[in-house]
Amino acid sequence: MQLATATDILNSLPMDVLPLMLLLPLGGAVVAYALGDRGARAVTLLVSAAELVLSVVLALAFDPSIAPSDPSAGMQYVWSVTVGRIRAGGSETDLQFLVGVDGISVVMVVLSNLVVFIAVLASHHIHEAQTMYYALLQTLMTGLLGVFMALDLIAFFVFWELVLIPMFFIIGRWGEEGCQHAAVKFFIYTHLGSVVMLVGFFVLYFVAEPHTFNMVALRNMGLPPEVQVGFALAVFMGAGVKLPVWPLHNWLPWAHVKAPTPGSVILAGILLKMGGYGFIRLGLWMVPDAFARLGIVFAALAVFTCVYAALTAMAQTDLKSMVAYTSINHMSWVLLGVAVAAVGMQLGLQSAASLAVQGAVFMMFSHGTIISVMFIMAGQLKYSAGTREIPEVRGLMERAPRLSRVLVVASLAAFGLPGFSGFVAEALVLFGSVNVYIWTALIAFGVFFTVGYLLWTLNRIVFSDPDPEAEVTDATAADLIAPVLMMVPVLLLGVWPDLVLTLVAPVAQFMLGG
Amino acid sequence: MVLPLQLSDLLQALTAPIRDVLVRFVPEQWMGSLPALTLVLFAVLALLVGRHVNPLPVSLLGVVLSAVTVVTLDASTYGSSFGGLFVRDAFSDFFIYIILIVAVLVLVSSTLYGGDKGPYDFLLLTSMAGAIWVVMATDLVGLFLAWELMSTPTYVLTALGPHRGAVDGAVKYFVMGMMASALMLFGIALVYGVTGSTELATVAQTLNTMSADPTVAPTMSPTVLLAVVLFILSFGFKTGIFPGWMWVPDTYSTADGSVTAYLAGATKKTGVSALVRILMVGLLVSQLEWTLLLVVVSIMTMVIGNVLALAQKNIMRMLAYSSIAMMGYLFIGLAAGTEFGLAAAIFHAFIHALLKTTAFILVWAMAVRLRKVITYDDLVGLSERSPLAAALLCLAVLGLLGVPVTGGFWSKLFLFQSAVEADMWWLALIGALNTVFSLGYYLRVVRSCYMAAPTRDDTVALARGPLIVSVLAMLVATVLAVVPGLVFDYALVAARAVMG
Repeated sequence: MQLATATDILNSLPMDVLPLMLLLPLGGAVVAYALGDRGARAVTLLVSAAELVLSVVLALAFDPSIAPSDPSAGMQYVWSVTVGRIRAGGSETDLQFLVGVDGISVVMVVLSNLVVFIAVLASHHIHEAQTMYYALLQTLMTGLLGVFMALDLIAFFVFWELVLIPMFFIIGRWGEEGCQHAAVKFFIYTHLGSVVMLVGFFVLYFVAEPHTFNMVALRNMGLPPEVQVGFALAVFMGAGVKLPVWPLHNWLPWAHVKAPTPGSVILAGILLKMGGYGFIRLGLWMVPDAFARLGIVFAALAVFTCVYAALTAMAQTDLKSMVAYTSINHMSWVLLGVAVAAVGMQLGLQSAASLAVQGAVFMMFSHGTIISVMFIMAGQLKYSAGTREIPEVRGLMERAPRLSRVLVVASLAAFGLPGFSGFVAEALVLFGSVNVYIWTALIAFGVFFTVGYLLWTLNRIVFSDPDPEAEVTDATAADLIAPVLMMVPVLLLGVWPDLVLTLVAPVAQFMLGG
Repeated sequence: MVLPLQLSDLLQALTAPIRDVLVRFVPEQWMGSLPALTLVLFAVLALLVGRHVNPLPVSLLGVVLSAVTVVTLDASTYGSSFGGLFVRDAFSDFFIYIILIVAVLVLVSSTLYGGDKGPYDFLLLTSMAGAIWVVMATDLVGLFLAWELMSTPTYVLTALGPHRGAVDGAVKYFVMGMMASALMLFGIALVYGVTGSTELATVAQTLNTMSADPTVAPTMSPTVLLAVVLFILSFGFKTGIFPGWMWVPDTYSTADGSVTAYLAGATKKTGVSALVRILMVGLLVSQLEWTLLLVVVSIMTMVIGNVLALAQKNIMRMLAYSSIAMMGYLFIGLAAGTEFGLAAAIFHAFIHALLKTTAFILVWAMAVRLRKVITYDDLVGLSERSPLAAALLCLAVLGLLGVPVTGGFWSKLFLFQSAVEADMWWLALIGALNTVFSLGYYLRVVRSCYMAAPTRDDTVALARGPLIVSVLAMLVATVLAVVPGLVFDYALVAARAVMG
């Protein structure tokens, strides 16, 4: 896009934009903790809004084009700080926090700030121990942004782990009945994935000559194929748990259902995207050859996960649990996009591969926004109708019209009706994937079932005759600010996908070109 | 990271007058051992003063002065003592700092129970002097003497615990310790028999020439291998690694908590130091053999520690088993056998000393306050009953787990990295999977403290002294999360002193 005004704004900042975005929430966390219950929410709202504005300005100022032989692989606004030095394997290496962004990272950064902002808005039902809650939320923000900005494997791992701790507390402290078990499960699954990934990082470090953790350098190095495959499997463990892929998905329904509403929003809205981003950045971007070899397996797993999750979602009676399975179902599209892109590149189908990658990133953005609305509405249902059990709620359209309208529109967006962003994402991935493997069209069954269960659910809870004995109150305007705001990007991207795709396409082109 | 090195220059310049006095009045042969000798002197003073008043100020002064002698007397100039029997170098200095830091933590915490009497401080300071000599010893006989000087007072201290069980724990510890000493002597005898010397440098040299000689090598190597096994066994007892770990949970959980903190924080580490010197200096010739042994020991120790820690209800016992597991991680670095691995291992020893000592002291302070054995149920709602203690305990536990909030993250990271460096990625993977396993019990602490609703709402007011030192220790640990180089640079220098 590259607006001159936006560049001017970035230049007038007191420090580089990326470290500023990382440090702002950390400072905000301290201030929020110091201010106590009264000011914590205000400070957090202010910080997350400022972050959102900053990231949008960054996106507007960003020049996504990359020269094919660019040695820095299109990374801009690069900034680093060295925290230590190690001497291993006969050479010295700096342990550094190296951050930088390309088009895909910018999209993810905007998404995280958007989702966190909405989650803070939707936190108005949290009254217990607010100081700690908001301090943790802001720490979480730093971790999330760091993951999407890191250009150094160690920094990546630090941020990746840093996300775990606040999320663990948010699920376990402010969640519903049984949330502690869910929190521990979440921590163990994710940690398992990340330590396997960590060993992969070290192997890569020692294979590389000279030894380095720098992701750009590792990418440019052209690693031996057997190392690449090993690393790709390690990434599959780490990112596959987060995404999640069958059979690593078991933590997700627990964590998402038991977490408080804003926690679920962040979990589904961004934490899952860390998995997708991991597949793209560490997989397709860094070890494309290995992903091409493993592509058929990953694609098959993705298709299976999609259909499996859709069928499981159909069997849920808790609306939140159903939405959680919808997430698994949608995120499998990202893995499919990445897998077929790698294979397509190998086969010389550059344009199909490029479409698939763009679709994968677009899916992450679009799903992050839509699913946030769905989770907020599921949480709202609990406040309005006293339960989230689908069979127990009836006649919502008559009794709670405002809530119903938002829920209906969000559901339509969730199953990918044209005009909403979800449709564009699915179409892009599918156009790319059928060109590479025709059988990946089977993933359309996933869409088919999704449409089925979402419409069926709407039929049961919204468009049925009201239960005269049930107590239902409509959502207030304050409850609906967050979801309605979040529907804006959904609709906007549905008709104007280029807003995101202009940032993504050059990176996709660059990744697949070389 | 030049800053810490400049800092030590600054401290040396500041304490120059003290150095001049010491150089004039202290016999040259005593110079290197001055840190230990200071502690012995103050141990006697504490015994005398402690007849009437609380000897804590005297003991603390002794530790501080001991630290001053370490700082002001440059190891390269004034390092040698007693005819080269005990020598200070970068490696031993690193461990001396660990011992002295733990000493401050333990002494302050000992006011909770027993530390207000002279004999208690006398025993503690004598043992610490012994520990300092252990890490300085370059001769096997000197090492044995120092080892006994360090161990003997701890046998008494563990028996002084408040419960009747303390005597049981101490007896177990004593019997095991004696057996370890016997095995160590046997090992020393074997080495002496083969090489005709007990001085490690000479041993290394003689073994080197012998192994090059095809007529001697085949008869020599089984004996040396046996000595290696004996050394790993005997030092492993104190260090609490497989197969000599059995006394650890019993003794740790029954002894008074400050003594436990001392055992876990300091004496454990001296075992590591002694083993490093023997294996990496004296018996470097048989590295191929001891690498394999250390790998086995490391894996077994990790697995045993983690599995059994999961089954504990008593927090002290859980922490004891977690100490065992931690030693397993540490031995990954030793098994790697590289300079980086050794640096990672002793860096881990440093971090572990901070974190584990804090954890033991906090739980002990709580046990003294509540007058009972602390279980997970007692931790429930601690975040509201005693917010500071809950925060410190959880920070320590998360640090032990290795999440990036304390230096514990880096030390584990470096350990795993060193295994990969030595082409043992599977060992790194086993270690990493073990950390996942350990989530089971560490997270339970956090969960009890922060997530469960309190069953009682009275506050738990812990004694101020232990809390203050815990805050300091955790502050250091947290700073190391941001700048690991502050200590790790020293660890690299120390490792080079041994390996280079």
